[in-house]
Amino acid sequence: MDRQQEFVLRTIEERDIRFVRLWFTDVLGTLKSVAVAPAELEGAFAEGIGFDGSAIEGFARIYEADMLAKPDPSTFQILPWRGESPGTARMFCDICLPDGSPSIADPRQVLKRALDKASDAGFTFYTHPEIEFFLLDRSAQSGADPVAIDTAGYFDHVPGGSGQDFRRSAITMLESMGISVEFSHHEGAPGQNEIDLRYADALTMADNIMTFRTVVKEVALEQNIYATFMPKVFAEHPGSGMHTHMSLFEGDTNAFYEAGGPYQLSTTGRRFIAGLLRHGAEFTAVTNQWVNSYKRLWGGGEAPAYLTWGHNNRSAMVRVPMYKPNKGNSSRVEVRTIDAACNPYLAYAVLLAAGLKGIEEGYELPAETEDDVWRLTADERRAMGIDPLPASLAEAIAAMERSELVAETLGDHVFEYFLRNKRAEWDDYRNQVTAFELSRYLPRL
Amino acid sequence: MASTRAASAGATLARLGFADPARAQQLLADPALGGLLDPLDDVFGDGLPDALARVADPDLALLALVRLMEALRRQEGRRTEERDRDVSHLIAALRHPGPGRDRLLGVLGASTALGDHLVAHPEHWRCVVEAEPRSAAERIRDLVTAVREPGELTRDDALRVAYRRELLGIAALDVTSPDPVAVLPRTAAALADLAEAALEAALAIATAELPVEAARCDLAVLGMGKTGGHELNYVSDVDVIFVVEPAEGIDEDVAVASGTALATRLMRACSASTAHGTLWPVDAALRPEGKQGPLVRTVASHASYYARWAKTWEFQALLKARPVAGDRALGEAYLAAVWPMVWEAAGRPDFVVDVQAMRRRVEEHVPPAEAARQLKLGPGGLRDVEFSVQLLQLVHGRSDERLRSRTTLDALAALSAGGYVGREEATALDTAYRLLRTLEHRIQLFRLRRTHLMPAAHADLRRLGRAVGFRGDAEAQVVKAWQAQAREVRRIHERLFYRPLLAAVARLSSDEARLSAEAARDRLAALGFRDPAGALRHLEALTTGVSRRAAIQRTLLPVMLGWFADEADPDAGLLAFRKVSESLGSSHWYLKMLRDEGSSAERLAHVLARSRFAADLLVSAPEAVQLLGDNAGTTPRTRDDIARRMATSAARRSTPEEAVSAIRAIRRTELFRIAVADLGRGIGLAEVGRALTDLSAALLQATLDVAVRQVEASTGRPMSTRILVVGMGRLGGGEAGYASDADVIFVHDPLPGAAEALAQEQATDVVKLLRRHLSQQGPDPALPVDSDLRPEGKNGPIIRSLASYAAYYARWSLVWESQALLRATPLAGDAELGDRFLRLVDPLRWPAGGLIPAQVREVRTLKARMETERLPRGADRRTHFKLGEGGLSDVEWTVQLVQLCHAHSDPALRTTSTLGALAAARAGGYLDGDDAEALEEAWSLASRMRNASMLFRGRPMDSLPSDVQDANGVARILGLPPTSGQLLAERYRRVSRRARSAMRRAFYDAP
Repeated sequence: MDRQQEFVLRTIEERDIRFVRLWFTDVLGTLKSVAVAPAELEGAFAEGIGFDGSAIEGFARIYEADMLAKPDPSTFQILPWRGESPGTARMFCDICLPDGSPSIADPRQVLKRALDKASDAGFTFYTHPEIEFFLLDRSAQSGADPVAIDTAGYFDHVPGGSGQDFRRSAITMLESMGISVEFSHHEGAPGQNEIDLRYADALTMADNIMTFRTVVKEVALEQNIYATFMPKVFAEHPGSGMHTHMSLFEGDTNAFYEAGGPYQLSTTGRRFIAGLLRHGAEFTAVTNQWVNSYKRLWGGGEAPAYLTWGHNNRSAMVRVPMYKPNKGNSSRVEVRTIDAACNPYLAYAVLLAAGLKGIEEGYELPAETEDDVWRLTADERRAMGIDPLPASLAEAIAAMERSELVAETLGDHVFEYFLRNKRAEWDDYRNQVTAFELSRYLPRL
Repeated sequence: MASTRAASAGATLARLGFADPARAQQLLADPALGGLLDPLDDVFGDGLPDALARVADPDLALLALVRLMEALRRQEGRRTEERDRDVSHLIAALRHPGPGRDRLLGVLGASTALGDHLVAHPEHWRCVVEAEPRSAAERIRDLVTAVREPGELTRDDALRVAYRRELLGIAALDVTSPDPVAVLPRTAAALADLAEAALEAALAIATAELPVEAARCDLAVLGMGKTGGHELNYVSDVDVIFVVEPAEGIDEDVAVASGTALATRLMRACSASTAHGTLWPVDAALRPEGKQGPLVRTVASHASYYARWAKTWEFQALLKARPVAGDRALGEAYLAAVWPMVWEAAGRPDFVVDVQAMRRRVEEHVPPAEAARQLKLGPGGLRDVEFSVQLLQLVHGRSDERLRSRTTLDALAALSAGGYVGREEATALDTAYRLLRTLEHRIQLFRLRRTHLMPAAHADLRRLGRAVGFRGDAEAQVVKAWQAQAREVRRIHERLFYRPLLAAVARLSSDEARLSAEAARDRLAALGFRDPAGALRHLEALTTGVSRRAAIQRTLLPVMLGWFADEADPDAGLLAFRKVSESLGSSHWYLKMLRDEGSSAERLAHVLARSRFAADLLVSAPEAVQLLGDNAGTTPRTRDDIARRMATSAARRSTPEEAVSAIRAIRRTELFRIAVADLGRGIGLAEVGRALTDLSAALLQATLDVAVRQVEASTGRPMSTRILVVGMGRLGGGEAGYASDADVIFVHDPLPGAAEALAQEQATDVVKLLRRHLSQQGPDPALPVDSDLRPEGKNGPIIRSLASYAAYYARWSLVWESQALLRATPLAGDAELGDRFLRLVDPLRWPAGGLIPAQVREVRTLKARMETERLPRGADRRTHFKLGEGGLSDVEWTVQLVQLCHAHSDPALRTTSTLGALAAARAGGYLDGDDAEALEEAWSLASRMRNASMLFRGRPMDSLPSDVQDANGVARILGLPPTSGQLLAERYRRVSRRARSAMRRAFYDAP
């Protein structure tokens, strides 16, 4: 650790860095940034940088004192979009109280706690997200009706398209920040793109997702377009999700893999999935935290709206991807509900906790669903024991309120704040008179 | 005749101290000793047996001597005449009394390991017999020569043989010293010199074997720990740090790699086990980044590490650094670069926290099985002395360069000379340290093993005792001496840290150097006092002067300061102690209690620094300190006992005001008693609740009596009515807290034939007086009397007759009144009237058939409205103890609703206590088991936190503390470790959240 700090200070000296941005994330997943001069960094490592927590979503009112941001030197990166010298760099921070103890309100701390619990059980948690987003005309930023920058579809190659340029520069920039990209392509809807990040441990990945969202938005602005992670932009097209592949490792062994098991899936893997399904409704408010998130979940098409699992079933919440022969370590499960507008720290923490709970308690995995659940009748679904995910943010809040698992994972302070904030969001939403209502009712009623 | 002679020889040998005289006699007759003993001389006077008898283990020495003589005679590879000459020289040395003979026998009798070495290398006997003090340079020369010309041995083996030969000389001088404790520093220094020589020789081996690497860099070895301190043990790890600089024209990376190879070889040369044994492990773990860090670094790299990253303990270790081998100039350059930083460590922001953690580590790290025999670790061990001396060096060496010695005893002397520790303390510690180290040396010397445990076997203890000069019952004496010195050291913190602080302020004997005020402030801050200047003023006030009190406090305070420093608020504790002490003046019993009654001063210090509530009570009633004197004193008294004392005391006063004041003074003492019992965690929540309820009841009774007499006196007529005080709320439930008001209603009942109006008037006057007496400023915290729960609330008469209650309840009774009556309990006044009142209200609070749906709805609505209306403005509804979600009132309303509905049919529910009713509701199946558990947990936690908040701050807190210090202090009172405030808050949120959802189910949603 000390050598890492040393490395950071040396790099700053050598690369003529004039500003270091200290990044952290509020409870809702918004990136926060404090810029410090390199001279202050040494003190920041030792004691942290004080700031007034009451202005940050979810940090307020723990104690009436400043909080401290302590940079994590292992996350040091030079920010490429400020290009030329003098440069700017960033580090993620842990948030502490004045007495030095880590703050319970810090989402990074929430994920660390969940990871510690996994590591007590002997597991390391890896994730690999496929992040979808829309590229829109710049005017969307100021609230105008969204216009996609192209009209292409899934895997379409768009000649001379700015989407292509965009992906190339975004990926270059991500790679230059040490974030490996596995795959990228045009998605199903106009203007929709997907970039898959190479798997990493969950904390690094959550940091990466925060960086990713910033990079994508920065690159878009450079190209005079607008990038959005809003889950459902066009009612008539699919929304943007963040399907996440997850695996647990015990040392160097993939704990989900078992030669000869169904889909080469071990008992541990099956119980992990069972945990995700059993607690799925409780944590949906965290993985899909906005009113808009539920428009994607219930928007038909490929959206996963049921608490089921399957091998190649796009309507299921959890999918077990095709197994690649001789690659035991690639065994994994894919959660398809989560969207890219979540707080990745909290979302990965609850997913992990639910899966671990399944392992701890030895949950039985229900039968696989092969049908397209959307096509079944309600009674058929009931007969098959298929439960739906919450249909709205309100339902998700209600389910989360009853969840000891989520409360324990987030910690009661964050749990409480999150619910309060989401209830307020739902109330605001419900108070709207929508364009739908005006156009449908006003002429008639 | 022969047998008589044999017998008498045996007896003489036994008398001389041989444990096995028969075997000794046999050995003395061994041909190997031919020429040493005159066969015709059976007089033992000053002969060999006599000399043997003087050593630590005569039997061992004799056996080893026989083996040595045999080995010397048998020795091969030498010319016969040379060998014979050697034998006859040794015989000559042994035949005559003198230091030569004493040395050889002394070494043989103290160490089997060195005896074995002599048997293997008999020609080394001269090093023992002719031993003399040698300089480090001489030892280096000899050891380096030995490895350069190893003869038929490997270089590593040559080093081992030469090392032991030197060791023989050191041991010879050590064991024959008339006062081994006195020569300890010299022995320890010689051992350090020898280690230095061995490291130099090991480096010579490395250089010889790795010439290319050696040419690429300069390497210096810095001794750390006892090696650096020039105070080494016979066998211990030798702590080192390596410094490297590139030779000219060599790249730094290459130089570091070369240095690493050399250092690795050097370490192996010392620590590897070969046919000739091993020297000692070389430990380089004190280097920057410990075992993870590179083995060698350049001066610049060291310097930048210490400047940026080093922790407090690393500076403490660095204090000992001294160049011991390799390139001396480079070693000095290293020192010049990093050593000054040691003396800035005390100015680092986390110094205090680090030091406290280090202190805990020193005290904790002892394997329990060994604790009783440890010489080194644990409280009272050698490590404790060394650590404490180093800490003081760090704190004060910053401004006083004279303290910067690497050697423990020298540093201690310098601290004493500068007044940083008392002269007497320094002398005592010096003695203790020397003795403990000498014991350690002797134990290690026996087998040349690294151990710090006192032996357990009888023979080992006997040898050890004799080795440090005891004769006769040596084993018992040595254990006694050890324990006495360990006791001395155990009180070291007090002696070293705190006592000199007093010297700083007390202006006592003028010939002794004193701690300067500035140094005293530095030290107090290092010990965790937040306002050192203030603390120093208090110390001064407490200890200045020639009074007996000042004298006693000068002895006591050093210990008490340590106890204050253990608690959440040391400054407040010291201030309160000063106030108590000043107001008790020179009360004889007070001083006696503090001085003689062992634990009472300790209990006092902890109570004062843990609880402002208790401290405030004590400051206003210092005499209460008496009850700390014995354990019985901190058991809460019964209601009857308190009531009797109050009545007796009030009866002696002439005016009502004086009587009330006397009553309330008793309450103050009893409150303190309860607080002390609570803080010591001698009693739990339920017992605290009961004790506080009893106390309030007794107070109400005694004050009521005063008020009645007052009214009778002022009207000149006897009371024409009987009065009853009924407890409501927590008081009625027997679950009062420190911050509870007295929720009561008043009832009276005119005597037969009395005029109704007069009775009402008298009763009203009594109640008014009672309320006034209790709400006035007094010796104890006021007890506001709240009777809002009476019929018609604030608009109703303050007191009603029983008949009026009956009429009112018959006509008007509302559900909320029934609910309030659930906890009604007569507390004071006429007992018979109390029974009648209960008979009146029982049908109301336990209504036949329970509540009708409309009434249930009314209760629920009222609660819901109360949640929004009663919560104070700005309060957080999640964290308010009483009215917040999952708080006290949620639990109470839930259980009360169950009681209203079912108590008529289920007598188990007819209790006034919330916890009792909760248990009954669960047992009766009216509440789900999990819900009941959640409710109970929340109610108990909120109650405990409310009590603890009051205890910590002396003022009530209604919600989770918003200040970190408060939160941590409350957590300490609840028995959590330091800085647990945040954890406690999380726990409260969790517990109350669960209680809230249980309450929703059981109260709002239940059918």
